[in-house]
Amino acid sequence: MAAAAPTPTTISPETPSLAALLPETLAKPLSEGTAAQPEAAGPKKQPVVLDVRDLKTYFYTYDGVVKALDGVSFKIRRGETVGMVGETGCGKSVTAFSVTRLIADPPGRIVGGAVLYRGANVLRGLEHEAKFKPMKGSNRVKVRRSFRRIKASQERMVAVRGGGIGMIFQEPTSAMNPIFSVSNQLSETLLLHRGDEIMDTLLQATPNAPERRAAFEELADAVRSGQPTDNVRAAAKKVGDVLHCPSMATQSFYTAREAIAAGRDPLPLLERAVRRLRLSRLARSYLLQQRRLIALQKELNASYMQEMRDGTFDHSQRRSIRRRRVATRYRGGWLSIRGIRGRARKPLNEETFWRSVTLLEGIAIANPVQVARSYPHELSGGMIQRVMIAMALSANPDILLADEPTTALDVTIQAQILELMRDLKERVGTATLFITHDLAVIAEVAERVCVMYAGHVVETAAVRDLFRQPLHPYSQGLLASIPRVDQPEKQLSSIKGSVPNLITPPPGCRFHPRCAYAMPICREQRPPTTVEGTDHTVACFLYKGPVAVE
Amino acid sequence: MKDGTSATILVARNLRKYFPIRGGLLSSHLGDVRAVDGVSFDIREGETVGLVGESGCGKTTVGRLLLRLIEPTSGHSFYRPPPETEARLNTLYDTLRPFTGGGDGGTEPPLTDEARRALEEIDAIADQYSLYRRSQRKMRPLRGKLQIVFQDPFSSLSPRQLIRDILTEPLAIHHVGSRSERYRRAEELVKDVGLNPDHLWRFPHEFSGGQRQRIGVARALALAPEFIVLDEPTSALDVSVQAQVLNLLRVLQAERGLAYLFISHHLSVVRAMSNRVLVMYLGKVVEEARTDELFTRPLHPYTQALLSAIPIPDPELKRERILLKGDVPSPAAPPSGCRFHTRCPAVMPVCSKVDPPYLQVRPDHFVACHLYPEGIPPKGATIPAGDGQIASAGMAGAEAPLVASH
Repeated sequence: MAAAAPTPTTISPETPSLAALLPETLAKPLSEGTAAQPEAAGPKKQPVVLDVRDLKTYFYTYDGVVKALDGVSFKIRRGETVGMVGETGCGKSVTAFSVTRLIADPPGRIVGGAVLYRGANVLRGLEHEAKFKPMKGSNRVKVRRSFRRIKASQERMVAVRGGGIGMIFQEPTSAMNPIFSVSNQLSETLLLHRGDEIMDTLLQATPNAPERRAAFEELADAVRSGQPTDNVRAAAKKVGDVLHCPSMATQSFYTAREAIAAGRDPLPLLERAVRRLRLSRLARSYLLQQRRLIALQKELNASYMQEMRDGTFDHSQRRSIRRRRVATRYRGGWLSIRGIRGRARKPLNEETFWRSVTLLEGIAIANPVQVARSYPHELSGGMIQRVMIAMALSANPDILLADEPTTALDVTIQAQILELMRDLKERVGTATLFITHDLAVIAEVAERVCVMYAGHVVETAAVRDLFRQPLHPYSQGLLASIPRVDQPEKQLSSIKGSVPNLITPPPGCRFHPRCAYAMPICREQRPPTTVEGTDHTVACFLYKGPVAVE
Repeated sequence: MKDGTSATILVARNLRKYFPIRGGLLSSHLGDVRAVDGVSFDIREGETVGLVGESGCGKTTVGRLLLRLIEPTSGHSFYRPPPETEARLNTLYDTLRPFTGGGDGGTEPPLTDEARRALEEIDAIADQYSLYRRSQRKMRPLRGKLQIVFQDPFSSLSPRQLIRDILTEPLAIHHVGSRSERYRRAEELVKDVGLNPDHLWRFPHEFSGGQRQRIGVARALALAPEFIVLDEPTSALDVSVQAQVLNLLRVLQAERGLAYLFISHHLSVVRAMSNRVLVMYLGKVVEEARTDELFTRPLHPYTQALLSAIPIPDPELKRERILLKGDVPSPAAPPSGCRFHTRCPAVMPVCSKVDPPYLQVRPDHFVACHLYPEGIPPKGATIPAGDGQIASAGMAGAEAPLVASH
């Protein structure tokens, strides 16, 4: 607290670029086999990372079946930001939750469709889950089998959730656990998704390197003589290089700065930090074991991905992998995960703490050490949202599902977060599904837009096309109803009526009761999705283009 | 009605509201949250005043103070003072200005005799016109004239009352008409806000958000008010429904000559709705101007940043954006001097020491910022009423100079 106090609210100019921060991010190989099938279309088109086809999610309530999603299809290409807009209750968030299979069952259930993440159907095996009904008199063996299948299908999801598909939740203050500090929660994600990397760093670190003394002194001099932060950063980086431990660069940077600001000699503090890096023989062997477990889990995940891709489950292989894993776990008796974290806790905690500080730096937080030590209630909404973004990005996901990330924030903070997300998109290149009800935000961040209405995607277009020439009457109405700060003259028009009840949705096109152009056919049939122009699809009987192929 | 001479309904001067922070062993007084700290403005007939700012800056508290839903710590709002009294009040407050500036305690010079006399005179006027000097009984007739529409249509309607009862209750409290007359009035009200009389026999949960907000508006209209505080009336609604409610509010204003205080954090909506805009930051008004002037020529760095942060629904428009650093400081311990100096892109050494005075910098344009030390000498400081037309700046908004030249 003490040293960071002088400039608490300013964004320090010395925050390093994220590219330097996450060098592995960009170089991350697509470890699980091939990327999705290359699209036949234009040459410069990126491969599709997420392909949602005819997704149906229903909620079974006492009042009836709420058809929250009724055949939603869209695609996200690599590095692309797709905006998803629509009114409250049109199924935007349900889409995101369905993709990661976070829909709570009992009430909700994904009843159909496919979510292809890099060619693998994430929803595979769901039908087994849906069949499970623990009713009176049912066969015990069958129930156990259902349980096993559910467990297996959920285990398969681990291969995708968090690691491949990251998520930013809507309400930042309630999405974090109030009883753990920020660094604690960031560390958890880091250990879960990048545990092997963290352990490798610890195992390869050279805390006894003789050159470290010189590097420390150089760093202390740089801080003491008040050199520009870039130079100090460089000196700190050198410390990290000498010790073969990148997180030491961050740690030594902050330690040295704090110590000198408080008028203390940084060298003993740095030495102490190095001492924490040293592993006892026991800790080393624990870490090695842990690594093997993680490697096995990865293997398992890869095989799950492959199975989802092939559409088969090779039960024999899975069983053998599980057997090996179990064997590894029990060979020494003490090799449970908890035990390992207990034995090597100090160095692991240090490493993950400073890694989370580095992550926080990467999202332009001014005093990352202080933020990492604080608890969620001590932070403002914007700050927690940043932490959430850091958490979602910590596993280097291919896809980021951002569910109304700025809705709860003020405009100035929203501008900061949008700027950050745009910046991250350029540097990290994560594909993003940006869910919001605010078309203005979509115009700022998205490249393509899906307009949703009552559980259907009614229009998909490049953002420019949509704003220049909305085709669906609903999109037109939506655009006409936004007050614009740059066009105060604009007469606000509104869409008459309100969103229909999804238990008994209107037949045919769900928009027809509110539509100004409603025709008799709209009442009877659901309009097909047709292609109008390049990359512009619409589901409306007003347009007669060729029917889009799935 | 909007001919430049419309009468003033409310004159709010130096409104302050401090919420005490209690804690510790004997729940002793630990400090104050300065929710509203010296806010002054006028509300005129038939006019919409926008009030914008980030969350926690005291917008809602100002709205509630104006209706005396909460008692202020200090300050007055005068209800319909005669023009000569209003002019006198303005001169009196001008004399007092050097003594009530910062509100930081201890920084003001000791009162001179003249200032003391001014205070006494204000006191005398306040006894006659200030809302806060009235007894609750005397306040009651005014409650019908000053109304509010709450932010959240889901929690502001009693779930146990029929819409009919919700709408007739204010009439009953004010002894308007007989029961059958009141029901007839409720029917009219429901029609006025675009619902149909069948809806009177329903409960609030049977309505959608937009419809509930209409009911909230109808309830506010029941007693034929002169002035309605609209406390974020559309922020809980979807855009398509928001437009319905905004259009309704406009129509009602045109028909009945209502004055609105339109509180919102959504600047596009404020621009569409208001004639004059106040920008608040941490309990203080930092800028006030006519809507088109404020949006095309914002002077205060905070307003500039706020305006540049609004996302514009046009993917082809790329703008220079002023990004503010950090978050809004806590109103329990506001920064010294200018409260914005911790985040200000144009901060100067003086900003952290001296609270900038609130000056008229251009006609009808008030700013509290050290960048504009030379105000127009306040002559009587009465702001000639705006010509009342909604934002006539034309298409200038897109090319608006969002960065000040200083």
